[in-house]
Order: sequence, then C-alpha cells, then structure tokens
Amino acid sequence: MEDVLSEVCSSEDLKVFEKKYNDELVKGLVSSTTQFEYACFLVRSRYPADIQRGVVLLEELYKRPEEIGKRDYVFYLAIGNARLKEYQTALNYLKGLLRVEPGNRQVQELETGAAIAGGAILGVGALIGLGMALAKK
Amino acid sequence: MADCPHTIGVEFGTRIIEVAGQKIKLQIWDTAGQERFRAVTRSYYRGAAGALMVYDITRRSTYNHLSSWLTDARNLTNPNTVIFLIGNKADLDAQRDVTYEEAKQFAEENGLMFVEASAKTGENVEEAFLETAKKIYQNIQDGSLDLNAAESGVQHKPTQPGRTNLNSDSQPNRDNCSC
Ligand SMILES: Nc1nc2c(ncn2[C@@H]2O[C@H](COP(=O)(O)OP(=O)(O)OP(=O)(O)O)[C@@H](O)[C@H]2O)c(=O)[nH]1
Ligand SMILES: [Mg+2]
Repeated sequence: MEDVLSEVCSSEDLKVFEKKYNDELVKGLVSSTTQFEYACFLVRSRYPADIQRGVVLLEELYKRPEEIGKRDYVFYLAIGNARLKEYQTALNYLKGLLRVEPGNRQVQELETGAAIAGGAILGVGALIGLGMALAKK
Repeated sequence: MADCPHTIGVEFGTRIIEVAGQKIKLQIWDTAGQERFRAVTRSYYRGAAGALMVYDITRRSTYNHLSSWLTDARNLTNPNTVIFLIGNKADLDAQRDVTYEEAKQFAEENGLMFVEASAKTGENVEEAFLETAKKIYQNIQDGSLDLNAAESGVQHKPTQPGRTNLNSDSQPNRDNCSC
C-alpha cells in the first residue's frame, strides 16, 4: 500500500465501477466520467489484464476531442504502463507532462519511481546476459 | 508561492515521527479535491486511522462544502478514525472569509479536532500531523482502537520494536503543500 505503482484497489470497488460502465455501455453512451473512473480502478487492479484494459480505455479517452482532463489521462496512462512494466512508454508520457508542468512534484516522483523500476529490470537483464556470456566460455 | 498544480488522484508520502518515545511511520495519502476524482479518492478512506480535512479560510465555499466531505469521511472510515479540521491559509488573515470561532464551533459540534494553519509559512502544519498521531496513539492505548481490526489503519511491526504504522488520509488536500 505504499506507492502508486504497488498499491491495489479492492475487487469490490472495481466491480462497482465496472457495472456502472457496462450499464452505460448497454444504453449506448458511456460518459467520460464513467469511463475515467472505471479506467482508474482497472489500472490499480492486481491483474495485468485489467491494467491493460484500463490503458486502452484511457487511450480512447485521450483521443476524444474537447476533453478537459487530458493531463489526468496521461498521468494514469503512465501509472498503467509502469505497472505493466512498460517503463519506457510510462517515462515518455511523464516527459510529456513535465514539458507542460515542469515543476510538478507528483509527476517527478512517478518519473523517478518508474526510472528506478525500469533500471532495476535492465540491471537484472544485464546480469543474466553476463551470466550467459560466462557460461558459453 | 509558485503555481501549484492540482493533485491527480492521490499522492503518497511517508513521514516518521515520535510519539511518547515510540517511532511512528505515518503513511500519508494526499487525495485530490477536484470533483472528478471523488470516486477514486473515496476508495482511499477505508483503512485510514486519521483524516485531515482542509478548507481555505479565505474562500467560504470551501468551508460550506465541509459537511459533504465529513459525511464521506464518517461513512467510509471506522468510528474511531480521528478527523482533524484544518483552516488553511492562516497567513491571509486580511482576506479571511470564515471566522475562527465559527469553524471552532462546527468542529465541536461534529467532534473534530481543529486548528488554523498555513502551508505557506508552515504554521501549525507539523503540529496538526503530530496531534493526529497522538490522538490515534491514545485511542490505541485506551483500547478504543482495535489493532486487530483489518480496517484500523494501524499496523504494529513486531520485527521492529516500537514501530507503528498509521495511515492518515488527508483530504481535500494535504496542508503541507511544498509549492
Ligand atoms: N497564501 C497561501 N496560499 C496557499 C496556502 N496553501 C496553499 N496555497 C495556495 O493555494 C493554491 C492551491 O493549493 P493546493 O495545495 O494545490 O490545493 P489542493 O487542495 O491540494 O488542490 P487539489 O490538489 O486540486 O486537491 C496554490 O496556489 C497554493 O500555492 C497557504 O497556506 N497560504
Ligand atoms: Mg493537492
């Protein structure tokens, strides 16, 4: 429960917003609010398939014209991608946000978190590579 | 003060403080105040041991909204959750739109702790977090807060003697804005 990349929402919460989304979908029009809420909970799920779905819904919202909360979509896209271990994509989103809001501490902290997590993975990859190279000799 | 962007969703922070000789790690969730995040931020109330509810003494509308924030805080937390009302921007006394007495009375009627503070000068900021932690600690000592209840928001770490974790949900904003 310590940070945005590791905390998870409850499955009950997720179900509530899934139902709200599906109810509107059946009626034929999903409001931005409903889609955003559902996506925020999906991105905080413990299951990668949910997170992936959250990312798709956020990308779709971002493409809608005349949306006011684009920065919020971008930030949650960064969270979702980082949680899917797509660190480079996450960092690209955060760089974009920082271009508009250079002093945003919340964005800076997520950038640091994603960079460290991404770097750690790279580090492991490098070690395995080294291990393989040594093993081949 | 530089431009301070709206919090997106929730911002996490931790702070280690000392109460009665015990090290306590406060886990602080600064939740976004914008209406569009209401559904998301609500999900962080559960499991909070304390909540800091902040309004702006220079904007009466923020004070008028308190009862709806309080309803959420009461409905979504356990009955022992400490709720601290904070009148922020005490440095702007000349632009005051809500009197100290009025807010103090609201706090008393609703069983809330109350202080006026300034995130800009730092006045009473540390104190508010410390008082919240003290009150939670007191509730543990006198048995009114059951540590075994999943939603108590408090974790005792037996591996590190004397270390207790408190979750403190602050909404609508964390009053120690560093901007
Ligand atoms: N003078 C003065 N200005 C303050 C004080 N605290 C915050 N501000 C200013 O008030 C504005 C809003 O502060 P924020 O901390 O972003 O408010 P918030 O409640 O966190 O807003 P959300 O993130 O949308 O929930 C910013 O421009 C701050 O610089 C204070 O104590 N005194
Ligand atoms: Mg904020």
